[in-house]
Amino acid sequence: MIAPDRDHRPTQDPGVGREPATPPLGLPPGATCTRISLPTGEMLDLLAVPMAEQDPARPPEDESARGRIEETVRQWVSAEAAPPTAGVFVPLYGCHVAWTTHRAAVIGPPERLDQLAAAVVGFAGVEADLRAAERRAAALLDTLEDDVGGSLAFEEHRPDRRAELAARHREAVAVCRRLALLAPAVHAPPLHPPTLAGQLGERLRDRTRLVERHEFATHRAEFAERVAEACGQRALEAGIARRQTGLEWAIVVMLVVQTALLVVELLAQRATP
Amino acid sequence: MIVFRQPATARPLRVGIVGGGPGGLFTAWHLERLASAPIEVTIFEASGRLGGKVLTPSFTAAPVRYEAGAAELYDYSPVGDDPLRGVVRSLGLPTVPLAGSAVHVHGRRIANLDDVSAVLGTDGRHRLLDFDAWARSAMTPREFYESGADHAASAAPHGRFDGSLAAACPLSVRPYVEALIHSDLATEPATTTTGYGLQNYLMNDPAYMRLYRIAGGNEQLVNAVAARLSARIRLDAPVTHVAGEPQATITIGWRHAGIPREDAFDVVILALPIEPLSRLAFTDRSLRTAIERHIAHHDHPAHYLRVTLLLDRPVTGVPGEDDYLMLDAFGGTCLYVESGRDPTARHGVLGLLFGGAAAAAMAGETDASLVEAAVATLPQCLGIDGRQVLEARVHRWVGAVSAAPGGWTPLPVDRRHRPSTAHSNLFVVGDYLFDSTLNGVLDSADHVAGWLAAILAGSPFDACVTAGRFP
Repeated sequence: MIAPDRDHRPTQDPGVGREPATPPLGLPPGATCTRISLPTGEMLDLLAVPMAEQDPARPPEDESARGRIEETVRQWVSAEAAPPTAGVFVPLYGCHVAWTTHRAAVIGPPERLDQLAAAVVGFAGVEADLRAAERRAAALLDTLEDDVGGSLAFEEHRPDRRAELAARHREAVAVCRRLALLAPAVHAPPLHPPTLAGQLGERLRDRTRLVERHEFATHRAEFAERVAEACGQRALEAGIARRQTGLEWAIVVMLVVQTALLVVELLAQRATP
Repeated sequence: MIVFRQPATARPLRVGIVGGGPGGLFTAWHLERLASAPIEVTIFEASGRLGGKVLTPSFTAAPVRYEAGAAELYDYSPVGDDPLRGVVRSLGLPTVPLAGSAVHVHGRRIANLDDVSAVLGTDGRHRLLDFDAWARSAMTPREFYESGADHAASAAPHGRFDGSLAAACPLSVRPYVEALIHSDLATEPATTTTGYGLQNYLMNDPAYMRLYRIAGGNEQLVNAVAARLSARIRLDAPVTHVAGEPQATITIGWRHAGIPREDAFDVVILALPIEPLSRLAFTDRSLRTAIERHIAHHDHPAHYLRVTLLLDRPVTGVPGEDDYLMLDAFGGTCLYVESGRDPTARHGVLGLLFGGAAAAAMAGETDASLVEAAVATLPQCLGIDGRQVLEARVHRWVGAVSAAPGGWTPLPVDRRHRPSTAHSNLFVVGDYLFDSTLNGVLDSADHVAGWLAAILAGSPFDACVTAGRFP
């Protein structure tokens, strides 16, 4: 049986506010840091910095202060960067968004911070889910070399292989299912007229190559699923063949017994005067 | 031994193409690929280069290229087959998507619905959404995609666009909508149809189409096509006249290095914009009349003017890292940030595309005053005051494209491409026959090349040529 997957609703159920994280120093008042539990169980520290939009008419010292804050935020976010996505920094119509797998930050006018944060959390949920699926798909490929022989002939002398292959098949199907559930979020068409949150989501998806990664992971999982299915077919055929052999032997024994009884009966008839 | 002999009368079909722009090149290319009988194509180009409005020159102050003509290609693949995308892919040319949603109105940026609410208020947001819903209901993505075809062209709304705007687009959001579409429209709402106006509004919706360019310059497209042609290409060969009785071979009179020459062709394809086509002399009266009628139907000039600035530093401060943004100056101007996506760029390139009446009026001004106007038009956020400009180039495209005026209905596609039924071996190809885009000119070239190939496949070629009869 395939283990039930959780619903993929990172924006609706972000699990906000379990443990507050510490914001970096040097940020303007009102900056908040929230620890968010993503659907995969990973934690994301989200920093929200309220700051009015850049104004070319402002004195240069104001703008350099803004630049310093952006740099501070960038460094704070990058400190927790981990492969495969080292970090994404998006300037977006007066706002600034930074994201890595464990930390994210939004800088923008106070009235827009909530929607930016929601867009980042939504994206982070999808990305974390995809990353988990990528790991599972990669793990399936690791065992593929051993399994691929089983897709041609089942090894009769290793009965434990049957359960192992069945587990692998279940896992491959589960990964495929997970990726299929993620597809609408990954391939969501851009809305028109756009919203700021929608534009941010598009840019984050684009920068982290979510569409391509989803495609590759799906190919891997489907490939592993095909091999696992072939292995299952061979195991099934082996079982059927074994049962058939048993049946054939039973018939042979019965025929021999019947023949023997017939011979005895004939001899008995001949012996009778 | 079996010996194949060609009939004594067999010779290649001689095809003369007047115009070495994308229309002429695409037609020759398709014809060479589709023709099932031998053909001999000659292309006459008045200038010293091929490609016409597809032009990616370099600055002299630095080896930096810029788009001087067609800056973008349309990607219709979200809706259906996209022949141009197919050509680009088959030529192996890498492409880059183009995106931008910001419109600067009265010095304030509107890049999304949140900005609409902030600048125009909640009421403005609702009104814009109402207009958007009206535009979508008036033209679906499929209708947009098929807008050049016979069945769709006659069904498209043909009323004047300014009337539709007045009825469907409230005054509060009209400056935004007009600035958004003006430079693509290349004309004013009063001088085009609702269908054409709607297309230029809906093209901003990715469900209808997307934009892209060819990495390294759009001119690579025409260069790649030209490199694959077997056609004889005559550069610096302006065609002076076209002569031919009905149902006979057609003679093209041309000039090279001051020496007049003439060549006879079985088929002639005029792949010229309206203005040079109107300058061509036709010696046969019925042909001249047919071409004049063709020009009268299609001559609705729309205008572009492009000022490109080479800066001494990369462009920064573009909100949202857009590839282009719209400005409300001069009725609506498009600002292309050409160097935006190149992280290694040492220079910045900004291209300003003025359109419509403003472009026509500005065309008479000097380059210096146009550059000054262009710099003054730039949004403050870029921080450019003119001192950063190393070099500037001006390209005037007056009357280079065509806009469908209100009440105008397009001709059936076959009639668009063959102006004279008496001269059934003379065809016309051009972007103005569809939507004045590169995609449109490819559709036009496809149509004529396919038509000729079908004729060649369906009838014995010699019979067609000797009888001077094309179905």
